[in-house]
Amino acid sequence: MSLPQFKFLMPTSLSEACALLEEHQGKIKIKAGGTDMIVRLSHRAVKPDFLMALKKIPGLNEISYSPESGLTIGALALLREVEINPLVLEQAPMLARAAHATATVQIRNMGTVMGNVCNASPSADNIPTLVAMNATIVASSGSKEREIPLDEFFLGPGRSALQANEIATAIKVPALAAKSGVSYQKISPRSKVDIAAVNIGALVTLDKAGKCEAVRISMGAVGPTPLRAKQAEEFLLGKEITDETLAEAGRLAAEDASPITDVRASREYRKLMVEVLTTRALKEASSLAVN
Amino acid sequence: MSTDHNFSVVGKSLPRSDARIKAVGAAQYADDIFLPGMLYGKLLRSPVAHALIKSIDTSAAEALPGVKCVITGQDIPKIKYGNWRLVPESQDEFALAIDKVRFIGDEVAAVAALDKDSAEEAIRLIKVEYEELPGAYSVEESLADGGPVIHDEYKQDTPNISLDRKIEYGELDKAFAEADLILDDHFTVHATSHAYMEPCSCVAEYDHDGRLTIWTSTQAPYFVQCLLASTMEMRENDIRVIKPFVGGGFGGKMEMRPWEFCAAFMARKLGRPVKFTLTREEELATGRRRHPMNIHSKVAFSKEGMILGKEFIVHLDGGAYNSMGPTACFLCGNFGAMLYNYPNYRYYGAHVYTNKPPAGAMRGFGAPQALFVAETQMNVAAEKLGIDPVDIRLMNAMESGDEIPGVATISSCGFKESLIKVAEMTDWREKRKNLKPGQGLGLGCYSFISGGVFNWFNTRYNFTSAEVRAFDDGTVHLMTMASDIGQGCDTVLRQILAEELGLKITDIRLTAADTAVTPQADLGTWGSRVTLMAGNAVRKAAQEIKEELFKMVSLKFDLNVIHDLRCGDGNIYPANRPDRAVSFGDAVRMAQRANRGDPVIGYGSYTPRNKGLVTPAFSFGAQVAECEVDKETGAVEVKYMTTAHDCGTPINPMSVEGQLEGSVHMGLGYALCEQFIMKEGKTLTTTFLDYKIPCAEDMPPGVSVHVDTYEPDGPFGAKEAGEGLVSPTAPAIADAVYAATGYRCMDLPLTPQKVLAGMKKI
Repeated sequence: MSLPQFKFLMPTSLSEACALLEEHQGKIKIKAGGTDMIVRLSHRAVKPDFLMALKKIPGLNEISYSPESGLTIGALALLREVEINPLVLEQAPMLARAAHATATVQIRNMGTVMGNVCNASPSADNIPTLVAMNATIVASSGSKEREIPLDEFFLGPGRSALQANEIATAIKVPALAAKSGVSYQKISPRSKVDIAAVNIGALVTLDKAGKCEAVRISMGAVGPTPLRAKQAEEFLLGKEITDETLAEAGRLAAEDASPITDVRASREYRKLMVEVLTTRALKEASSLAVN
Repeated sequence: MSTDHNFSVVGKSLPRSDARIKAVGAAQYADDIFLPGMLYGKLLRSPVAHALIKSIDTSAAEALPGVKCVITGQDIPKIKYGNWRLVPESQDEFALAIDKVRFIGDEVAAVAALDKDSAEEAIRLIKVEYEELPGAYSVEESLADGGPVIHDEYKQDTPNISLDRKIEYGELDKAFAEADLILDDHFTVHATSHAYMEPCSCVAEYDHDGRLTIWTSTQAPYFVQCLLASTMEMRENDIRVIKPFVGGGFGGKMEMRPWEFCAAFMARKLGRPVKFTLTREEELATGRRRHPMNIHSKVAFSKEGMILGKEFIVHLDGGAYNSMGPTACFLCGNFGAMLYNYPNYRYYGAHVYTNKPPAGAMRGFGAPQALFVAETQMNVAAEKLGIDPVDIRLMNAMESGDEIPGVATISSCGFKESLIKVAEMTDWREKRKNLKPGQGLGLGCYSFISGGVFNWFNTRYNFTSAEVRAFDDGTVHLMTMASDIGQGCDTVLRQILAEELGLKITDIRLTAADTAVTPQADLGTWGSRVTLMAGNAVRKAAQEIKEELFKMVSLKFDLNVIHDLRCGDGNIYPANRPDRAVSFGDAVRMAQRANRGDPVIGYGSYTPRNKGLVTPAFSFGAQVAECEVDKETGAVEVKYMTTAHDCGTPINPMSVEGQLEGSVHMGLGYALCEQFIMKEGKTLTTTFLDYKIPCAEDMPPGVSVHVDTYEPDGPFGAKEAGEGLVSPTAPAIADAVYAATGYRCMDLPLTPQKVLAGMKKI
């Protein structure tokens, strides 16, 4: 299908980009890698007058780490870059796993982690681990910059808390506390290279006694936005990690999920998978937390 | 047997003749063709599954700037078409719907415009008023009392059965009465997409001399030529069909289709070339597909494991038109009684209309469905009788010389060897005893045809033919209507010709699949017919050349008549006096001189005669799938595929290997994840996001070996390769899943959800 007509903008600085956003409010869309946006354009799912590429803005593809500020993933960091970046692999290997689980290598060489987040699809591969790890989005309007916790970022399918004049410039992922572990689990109708029917991100922190001190569970593709498994989290706090407590946490997570039946899976299958994958994610995260 | 044959070109893994041009991206497919003044066509398709057309208003579309032509069913000759010309009443399609639409996607109108955007806009401006009718979306709904009549022409008792077939031999009732074990099972198998890489595309041009030329993505140029002629009311010789590079077909491109007609019709009307290229969404939402079927199969065994008989009842969910359904209905009955000796057999197959996109020919042509059932039941019987699945098959397996009463004789057969080989390669007996939890090992087998014998197209020509012209520079030119659609026959036919004439493959020029230039006719690329049939025709043409050239060599050396002459290394020589050699080119020069300037031309054809009702030659093989099932999620991972198969002489082993890998890929998708999810005739899985084809990463590793046989009816011993192998994969995987979980699948595909349901976990 051919693309509709639009004017293509390529600002070379963040302030120029924000000014263009301001000027063309409501009529402009942002493109990072374009792997979602170009498809949506060609399907006429969006009809902007202007399409603004961020590619020429220097510094947006940064991936950096410090113990104080944690991991920073710039808006233009490619999925493939995150997948193989030594800092990511060392500090947050589950972010690399989630990036790797996204589409095919050809897509990963074009698409960005930020694009996957901002596209705000409930089934996005990179969101659950980022939510579990309590990541924030740095949003810039040129003059002002703010950080939006990922928990508050998603308003609905395709809708985020970004203001019309804001550009998401980076993802900030806090450094993991001691004795913490993370996991990403996913299931889809085809074994590999596929959109998730259900995906789960989990972070577990253990105390000195080996009990659960902190836990965050994010569930994808089972609601209009990524959902937190609050009941499961509350249940697990202060508990020992055993097969029984993990199984119960999985069951509670399934209670919190509100999936639909669609061509990718039925509601009941999704619920059951939330249970299985949550238990698996918690198990892996807590075993990594021990080490 | 074939070890005696010392080939120099045949049997070699030579690079494909189209490898380079495709690798560098220079191959021209239909959509790459741009002609001066060319217009872009677009089809308006029905959004409703079953309705009467009350009115069509095209005025707004016609008024749109850039639109040059809008046509509807009212503008075209009211002539139905279909591939089964032998049974004219089976021809049930109009290129554009007249009065009635029968599925979502039925073509209603067509537009030609200066650019694609205008064509698309014009389509949106056409107003059609429909009076919706109740629809039938399954075999059950279609055959229910008071169900909608989909084609009003069929006034018999069951109006939605367009065609049926019966086969019966032996005394089946007696067999069931004497049986120790009777399996009586109902299966359902689903539709899948050909998903060829190249969506259908064509460009038509009508010249000032009244000739129509169409470049089209087709498997069968001759079918397109004939059916365009009848529907356009033109003479066949006024229509030239050229097959450019084609990006796969798998059975989905072997009919004349509405866009070919509309391109031709509007090109003639406007005097300007018209191109149509379908989108992937159109292909998936409305395109041909593999037949879903309801199959009731009842098999009788003795307690020793011998098959006593079988009753096989198949209802094909054909969709809104016959398409290639009648052939699938016929072949399904044959495949139901293949592989093993069924001494008593009864088949009833019925092709049932429903308000869905028509199913058509697709790789396997009735075999994947019939053999999923037959092979699953063999595995069930083995378990119930306490016999190893390999042994129960060996006990009943067909052999060379076996006869299927009134249907066919098995000329060459490497089935038993394939079974033994595949069991050896996988350490079958030991491994089955030592499976870890979640692990499974399963067996599936296949047999397939090497082209069809039944002349349903009612061609007046030979089934295939070839012309070879020899030149005094030692080269030859092969002309054939055989169509390379990516399967590699351009290379294979060159190899066959080079072998026969003792030349190198690079000495052979080829012109193929142009109805104005290449000899009449060839029925196209389907049913694994080309290597055997066109290969035989090429050999015969080459033999005519040899006869001519042998005379020259005989004359030159004044050879005794008892000498046997040979072609090899670019020379022609007496078998026991290789020193008395004349180069091929010199021999051609002599022949041309002797004939006072007439070129040296050979012609050969092939039509299967006295080859039974089905095919001249059957291929065979066996496959073992090793799987792991995640018992909590139901996900099936295929870890390894082992295949042993009998394709006679592999003309190009590398090409055969590619075919086999492609077969495993398609079989994997059929078994596990590919499906059309539909709601009341509407296809919901219209992109590759939701129509799940296995990706490269999903492909399991595997190994395949050829079993050595030599097919007497095939060129240099060759027969079918690569189509039949799409069949054993699903039963092998399903059997492995059973071993791992205890869930016996009789309802494809094996989605994770179904596996969990089968294990009673959901």
